[in-house]
Amino acid sequence: MGLPNVSGDLSAEMEVDAFRRLFPLRFYERHLADSIRPDARPLGRARDTTMALGAVASADGSALTKIGSTTMLAAIKMEVMTPSTDSPDEGCIAIDFHMPPICSPIVRPGRPAEAAPVVSKQLSDTILSSGMIDLKELSLVSGKAAWMAYLDIYCLDADGALFDCALLSAVAAFSNLQIPVVSLNDDGKIVVVSEEGEEGKLEKEPVNKEKRKLTLRSLPFSLTCILHKNYILADPTAEEESIMETLVTVVLDSSSRLVSFYKPGGPVLAYTSAVQDCVALTRQRVKELQKILDEAVSGMEID
Amino acid sequence: MVGLSVGEKYFIQGGINQNLRSDGRKRDTYRPIFVETGVIPQANGSARVRIGTTEVIASVKAELGRPSALHPDKGKVAIFVDCSPVAEPTFEGRGGEDLSTELSVALQHCLLGGKSGAGAGIDPSSLVVAEGKVCWDLYIDGLIVSSDGNLLDALGAAIKAALSNTGIPRVHVTAAASGDEQPEVDISDEEFLQFDTSEVPVIVTLTKVGRHYIVDATSEEESQMSSAISFSINRKGHICGLTKRGGSGIDPSVISDMISVAQHISEQLITKLESEISAAEAGEDEL
Amino acid sequence: MASKPGSAPTTYTPTPTRKSRPPIFKDSDVDWVRPDGRGFHQCRPAFFRTGAVNAAAGSAYAEFGNTKVIVSVFGPRESKKAMMYSDVGRLNCNVSYTTFATPVRGQGSDHKEFSSMLHKALEGAIMLETFPKTTVDVFALVLESGGSDIPVVISCASLALADAGIMMYDLVAGVSVSCLGTNLVIDPILEEESCQDGNLMMTCMPSRYEVTQLTVTGEWSSAKMNEAMQLCLDACSKLATIMRSCLKEAASATQD
Repeated sequence: MGLPNVSGDLSAEMEVDAFRRLFPLRFYERHLADSIRPDARPLGRARDTTMALGAVASADGSALTKIGSTTMLAAIKMEVMTPSTDSPDEGCIAIDFHMPPICSPIVRPGRPAEAAPVVSKQLSDTILSSGMIDLKELSLVSGKAAWMAYLDIYCLDADGALFDCALLSAVAAFSNLQIPVVSLNDDGKIVVVSEEGEEGKLEKEPVNKEKRKLTLRSLPFSLTCILHKNYILADPTAEEESIMETLVTVVLDSSSRLVSFYKPGGPVLAYTSAVQDCVALTRQRVKELQKILDEAVSGMEID
Repeated sequence: MVGLSVGEKYFIQGGINQNLRSDGRKRDTYRPIFVETGVIPQANGSARVRIGTTEVIASVKAELGRPSALHPDKGKVAIFVDCSPVAEPTFEGRGGEDLSTELSVALQHCLLGGKSGAGAGIDPSSLVVAEGKVCWDLYIDGLIVSSDGNLLDALGAAIKAALSNTGIPRVHVTAAASGDEQPEVDISDEEFLQFDTSEVPVIVTLTKVGRHYIVDATSEEESQMSSAISFSINRKGHICGLTKRGGSGIDPSVISDMISVAQHISEQLITKLESEISAAEAGEDEL
Repeated sequence: MASKPGSAPTTYTPTPTRKSRPPIFKDSDVDWVRPDGRGFHQCRPAFFRTGAVNAAAGSAYAEFGNTKVIVSVFGPRESKKAMMYSDVGRLNCNVSYTTFATPVRGQGSDHKEFSSMLHKALEGAIMLETFPKTTVDVFALVLESGGSDIPVVISCASLALADAGIMMYDLVAGVSVSCLGTNLVIDPILEEESCQDGNLMMTCMPSRYEVTQLTVTGEWSSAKMNEAMQLCLDACSKLATIMRSCLKEAASATQD
């Protein structure tokens, strides 16, 4: 930034890689001027997104999602708790986002990444406020027992747009969730009813025969954009995020209602028109993501 | 860390090659072993073991606890080793942490047997008072007072001695409780149960320096090792645990050789150690 | 908000109502079958893939039945400031578990010793003198624990090191054997490990015919020990062939 003229002169005689490393911002701005990004995407296009449901056998619901090379593994484990006296008919959801040291060179063991608690908080705020899950559905025996859904999301490869990928994997894991059939035993504990046979001597009637799946209403989907000068870059990579620092994350639900909106500071101040553009890009992206999720879910049902 | 000159290194290696080590020992001789039992009065059992200038203390503390849900018919045994900064300045603060975890894990592997409890020196089912309700939890703590090599063997010997010194109060279950309630227990002040420690294995570490392997290496000799294998061997000559240290690889046939050598050495060590332990116990009774 | 209670409520995993342990393993019984139908001396099918994590210098994913691990390698990079000068490179290893890796949530953290076991298994194979003053970080994450975790982590880590271009004498392959009654079963699954009488874990460099790490628990006679070691050695060399072909595939894919 400090020496724009120097870099301008050198660019003709320097190798591309060296130029990219030495003057990253110039490098990007040259691309942006031609409405293209170094990975050959147009500015408003998100990276390829894939999804696999049921990736973790030991969990009750799980999903592996990839946006470009950003990879997230989300899994839900259901445990039983005694509901609080304020809300005896409601279960709980505990959401945790982890960035283990494998995901990025900047995370080291014992020194957790700064981004992890931020994304964790954003995720639980978004999921709980979106009204996707009715906590009453997690109740088992009123006042006695309810489900505690532990949702853990692990970032396996961090390459930008962590929140988008994490939210997508969380939503996918919930659509993959299969609640085990349980019954109440004599000691007042909840036990799993084994699926195969031995019905004759079966101790107790299952308490949740009907509720094997959660009714998910209005799924939240998100898109993160970078604002830089007049440009809006959708779905940034880690390199882009490190060079251009103003991020805007829009979360819309499947009927395009705004769930949440984050713009955590940054040097660029956004005009309302830019915000509207971001929302428009997100609306488009939500349709794509909804389609990807539907395909993954129907793929599971055929199997 | 041991700082050695090139000459000293050569001297140590040459001595080992010629079966005459710097302190006059042969490759397969131990330094003199001294055992003292009952050194910590407030523990249920304790012992101090000195091998040459290496000195360790082991204590056994028994507490009443609840067996885990997975193994209602077994008590719990925990082994932990602490490296005192008295022994070496580098153990100050967190410096000894790596070594103490390594030694704790090695001792757990060597003394506690497999998951089902087979091959364990201490039978965990003998620690149960009322199945699923009350059991003894044994906390075995090792403390390194002075470190001059061969810590694992010394700790193994100290734990064996401390266990044979251990008396666990007899417990009577007074009232049978129903359901989830904990039964009431009465701990006797007079009657104590003794462990049968004849099955507790000893640990023999063979340290490979050059082409040869030696027992009971001093820390100077350990600084020259390429690798070391610790064998935990019981009276029957069966291997109850094994861990390897040191980076370089060993040919599998050499390992088989080392096993038979270790078995041979362990017989002598068990005899020596048990006579020392009984002498120490006798000495303690006289006082 | 009801879903974010101030204090964490105590929760438990509902367990199936089971009267006693499943009677698959009996001491004298020679005829039992392994829960997954394998032969006693038959390993699970192994799957390896390099380049699982783009952000890392090298990485690998391994899947043995339900055991799934990812290993990333970073470096050689600057050592921590507090480290003293060293004319050979340093190796830093860490193994962690996801909270959902184990059947009961969050039990994976009782494997503190795995990091040092991984370190010991690998250090003998790496040419540390090729990267003086710097550190190579090997981080492993067990996504799902299905038994024989640490040997799988070690094999996967040596593949990730190769993928990162770290110089090694040979690939390190790891295999474990469980002793159940009088039988030896290779590559045990979680169910078998939980009731084993003894375990032998060996990692070796098959081309050099050298054992880099060996741990044994439980009671073993020397004859049994030798039998188990031989089983492991054979399995390791087979495993190394699979690992090698995975590397070759990856290399030829990049050439095309």
